[in-house]
Amino acid sequence: MSEKELGQKWDRCLADCAIKVGTGLGLGIVFSVVFFKRRTSPIALGTGIGLGMAYSNCQNDLRSHYQLHRSAAKEQ
Amino acid sequence: MAAKIFPVVKFATKVTIAGGALYVAYDSGLLGGSNEGSVALARAKSAIPPAVDEWMKYFGFELPATPKIEFSPLDAWNSGVQKSIHALSVAPSTVGDYTKQGLQYVKDLSK
Repeated sequence: MSEKELGQKWDRCLADCAIKVGTGLGLGIVFSVVFFKRRTSPIALGTGIGLGMAYSNCQNDLRSHYQLHRSAAKEQ
Repeated sequence: MAAKIFPVVKFATKVTIAGGALYVAYDSGLLGGSNEGSVALARAKSAIPPAVDEWMKYFGFELPATPKIEFSPLDAWNSGVQKSIHALSVAPSTVGDYTKQGLQYVKDLSK
């Protein structure tokens, strides 16, 4: 992976992390207010889910360079 | 009869609100891969200035212009790394020079 490509991947990772954590936080707040009588545990759960999704996306993105993809395999 | 239906209606409203929030998040690509997330972010960034302008016209006052900060964290970090490593690399010779100067000074004193 070239330096430029790696830098782009990291940029995407950070932006994605911010978006997912924000979305998780927002949805957690909505669910906490609507269903769970304003307890804080759904907010923490939502933030954690967002963080986990961002981590998983990052992991797949950074690994995809070293994996053989179905389209490439079919060409062979 | 209204008293019996009311809890059901309340619950249905709550489910609608929560489900709607979930659907909006899913539909705008906030829960997808990294690419969709950056697309959604770009859309939001491009949609903010017109929205802010409209709100300002509606309320009738101007927000102060955001100050332009000429700071690049990347450049600051890179220059910091370069300076530290350079200092580390010249440290032995600098220490040697200072020791020599100190010894020379002491010799001069003792003459």
